[in-house]
Amino acid sequence: MEDHDIDEDEFEFSRNYFLAKESGKSGKKSARKLSEIDLVDEQDLRAEVSKIEPKHEKEIASLIDSYKSLYNEWAFELQYGFGLLLYGFGSKKTLIEDFASTALTEYSVIVVNGYLQSINLKHVATAMAEVLWEQLKLQPRSASGGSFKSQQPFNSRSLDDLIAFLDGPHAPENESFVCLVIHNIDGPGLRDSESQHLLARIAACSHVRIVASIDHVNAPLLWDKKMVHVQFNWCWHHVPTFAPYKIEGVFHPLILAHGSASQSVKTATIVLQSLTPNAQNVFKVLAQHQLAHPDDEGMPIDVLFTSCRERFLVSSLVTLNSHLTEFKDHELVKLRRHSDGQDCLYIPLSKDALEKLVQEINQ
Amino acid sequence: MATADEVHISDNDLKPFFVLHKASNSQQHARKPVGRTSRKVKVNLSSSLAASDESQLLDDQLHKNSRMKNFHDAWVKIESTIKDVLHNINADVFNEINGWVQKSFGAICSSGKLDTNKATCSYPIVTDVTSNQIFTAFVVMSNIEFVDDLQTFADLGVHLQSHGCHVANLSSVDFSAKSGIGGCLRSLLRQILNSSTDAADISILASWYMEHDDYKNPVVVIIEDMDRCSASVLSDFILMLSEWVIKIPVILILGVATTLEAPKNILSSKAVQHLSPSKFFLGHPTDRLDAIIEAVLVKPCSGFLVGHKVAAFIRNCFLRQDGTLTSFVRAVKMAIVQHFLMEPLSFTVKGLLDEEVAEADAWPRQALDLPSCMRLSEPKSEALLSGASQMKEVLNLWSSVVLCLHEVGKNQRTTLLDLYDEALDPKLYNLRNSDHLEVKPDPQRPSWNYDMHGQSFERQKGGLISRTIRQIRDLPPAALHQLLEKWDKQTEGVDMIHEKVKELRLQEDDNLKEPPTRSRKQTIRNNGNSDRLNEKAAALITCMTREHMQPVECIPFHEIVCFRNADKLQAALVGDPRKRIQLDLLECNKFLKCSCCCTKSHNVPISSMHDTSLMYTLAQEHGNLINLHDWYQSFKAVISQKTVKDKHKSKLSPSPKKRKITAEPQIITEASAQARFCRAVTELQITGLLRMPSKRRQDYVQRVAFGL
Repeated sequence: MEDHDIDEDEFEFSRNYFLAKESGKSGKKSARKLSEIDLVDEQDLRAEVSKIEPKHEKEIASLIDSYKSLYNEWAFELQYGFGLLLYGFGSKKTLIEDFASTALTEYSVIVVNGYLQSINLKHVATAMAEVLWEQLKLQPRSASGGSFKSQQPFNSRSLDDLIAFLDGPHAPENESFVCLVIHNIDGPGLRDSESQHLLARIAACSHVRIVASIDHVNAPLLWDKKMVHVQFNWCWHHVPTFAPYKIEGVFHPLILAHGSASQSVKTATIVLQSLTPNAQNVFKVLAQHQLAHPDDEGMPIDVLFTSCRERFLVSSLVTLNSHLTEFKDHELVKLRRHSDGQDCLYIPLSKDALEKLVQEINQ
Repeated sequence: MATADEVHISDNDLKPFFVLHKASNSQQHARKPVGRTSRKVKVNLSSSLAASDESQLLDDQLHKNSRMKNFHDAWVKIESTIKDVLHNINADVFNEINGWVQKSFGAICSSGKLDTNKATCSYPIVTDVTSNQIFTAFVVMSNIEFVDDLQTFADLGVHLQSHGCHVANLSSVDFSAKSGIGGCLRSLLRQILNSSTDAADISILASWYMEHDDYKNPVVVIIEDMDRCSASVLSDFILMLSEWVIKIPVILILGVATTLEAPKNILSSKAVQHLSPSKFFLGHPTDRLDAIIEAVLVKPCSGFLVGHKVAAFIRNCFLRQDGTLTSFVRAVKMAIVQHFLMEPLSFTVKGLLDEEVAEADAWPRQALDLPSCMRLSEPKSEALLSGASQMKEVLNLWSSVVLCLHEVGKNQRTTLLDLYDEALDPKLYNLRNSDHLEVKPDPQRPSWNYDMHGQSFERQKGGLISRTIRQIRDLPPAALHQLLEKWDKQTEGVDMIHEKVKELRLQEDDNLKEPPTRSRKQTIRNNGNSDRLNEKAAALITCMTREHMQPVECIPFHEIVCFRNADKLQAALVGDPRKRIQLDLLECNKFLKCSCCCTKSHNVPISSMHDTSLMYTLAQEHGNLINLHDWYQSFKAVISQKTVKDKHKSKLSPSPKKRKITAEPQIITEASAQARFCRAVTELQITGLLRMPSKRRQDYVQRVAFGL
């Protein structure tokens, strides 16, 4: 009978799919263009988005409040080796941070913002190791306490060493945990399988507990059985909050913005601020060049390299290229063929916008 | 709680990561190491209990602590039981492998030892082409899901280490094309030298080996999932080892999840030439699972049991979806966590754990309110007193009957998993008691009644248990003899059944004592005798199942020890984001419980709905492509409608029909409508339910999910 149900479900699923396909193809398919709408200017749209009046504020607040009664249960599951995975529609950022600061005071908590574009997990692991080390130092001298003294600084150690440290043996009577909170473990910066494998290894460490949220409906596809059952050991909780995805949505271009490909100053600023100072400076060099030569088609790569090396920003073309790849990935910089056949770089922003951007990152 | 609008983008939100807080120091200092019982279990479980006076509060606190302690004890017990069971199952293979390792090592050593000078020189010495063979064991796992065998290989490593070998456990992660041969070499050095080295050079290993071991023990490299390794890296690794095998007596153990052909297919022919292979086989997951079920759930080892629905759920997971032991153990752990969290009376479980049930371990008075005690016939106070010991007795009877049945079914490959599931079913028990279970096949037998959980085809044909019993009638005398012997063993300590089994064995002995010289006639008579014995054995087990196989859910007070909430377990074990997130959006009113969006019919978009929810409801009307223009227009039309409240206010307007058409738009500027539209699209994009416009189709977004 259950078999039958499953078949039915599958049938329903495929039928829905083909129905949807069908209705898309049928002659009635609307061919209206977006341009028929009187679109508002992008800056105004952005301003308007930030001013949207929230709906159901009271209900959302009480919904989130209602999850407080589950905190104890969550803390218990966490303590006994499960990883918490929260899902459901709505931003769970405030909920998780509230949970961590009220119920997990005995753990050190490190928060990773997975919704950002790029996250260096080695830095995260280093920070975790440092926090754990402090925690272990404070403990009454146990048998293993002494061995931590002769440690080289964590930031010069390899990832394997860091994980080995986090996975160290612990004395049964005084357990020290570092809790890793990951907003959007399925976010753009963590979506590749390498990051997920690394996170899984970290999560499996004896001194680490993990709390994560997912928003994407296909997020479970990121993990294989080893990761799900052994390393993360997820305990699922369905906690829709209906809170707006404020910060999580910042990096998505607005669909009605003119030429959604061109980045607005605001997102560009945010992306730039998440990069290293050196990368920011390289970007500034390019921006200043573009502002100084508004009629040029762009800046040739070798010119950029020479001028960056003069300022001691990069030492080799490889480093420069890694910065440029980052810029290109976020569409901060584009490449076009110069009239004399040379490839050159330009920033796809208007002069005003670029000036504003340079001002913003100079602050 | 900060609501949506108050949350501004702060610095921390833009950092890739930050430290939220550090472990509070005061507690760190205050915590004293006073043994396991005082673990920092400060979990407050009674958020719903409203205790007024202080003594009650104190009581509650005590109960909570003992619940947590019980949980801890029960889990530790289960965990160690599982470990023991697996250890016993693997013991034979491990010893076999160890024997082979020692033999291979002997073979390597006999082919000639090198002096230190030669061994540490940087180039490999090839004295004899045939001598650079690596002894390799292919350990075939009988489950394509290698996740169960990760622990097996880790245990194997420990086992070999205890016999003096230098062991490195590598996995496919070390053999990735990206990190190349340096990656696996580094982790090999790391594990064997027990210190970190940046240089990936095998000569380091060679000189270390000369210095520390000098041909006393072999170096064993275990690769747990060979099938998933990068072929070229693994081949290179083998070629490299083969060049050094005279200096470092290395022995390879490769886990193979697919077929024995796999190594040939994966590795380069050059590398295969250097392997001198042997084969070993690991146990089948069903056998291991049966052993674990027997030790953990059939014999009440921990004072924790699961009900029929949960058992059926776990069984379905194993058979239909996962097929791994790991997920089974995970499910049991999750069940036990949920049980002790949910069941306030679970603080008394202790009584069931002890070998001797003390009189003081009576169930508490609150237990009388449990649904299973409503129809108790005996005086309540007595029931409380003897509850624990009685339950223990019934459980013991139940488990020995189940194990006896399993002994019968073993010949026919009946798994304990299936038997266990059926033996737990309270409905079947009630049916059996209404004289349903007959030894004779009955064509009129009505098919069993099943609910949505765990039905199987064989049961519709008359039940696994009755089929198993029928098998007894066809057993040859020798097998019957063995069976009775096993029953004798299984029922030891359960007097009620043991006596009867003994009786039957005596009768069997009598039969055997018949003079060995027998005519044809006598043989027939003898057969008749043993037939009768078969009949008797069948009758005995039938009687046992009818009288003594009382499922845990039919015992009074079972709620205290038995976890039955299969739905909760399922929700915690396997989330279903694809379905649930869509449902969140389509039925947002269920969660928000606001008065304004309450409509009689589902899925009618109204302006007061959550924007994203409204948009997703509207999207359902489109095909796989959604025209942005149309979508925006319909969204705008809906949000411009008057809300219900407004409608009530304007009831004075002439006719409802007309009002609908001329619904006065709310003052919503184009800009704000567009902004709301944009945000909703972004949120849908975050949930992955939409794909953004491509260059080719700029005016359309694509739907991703069709149906739940």
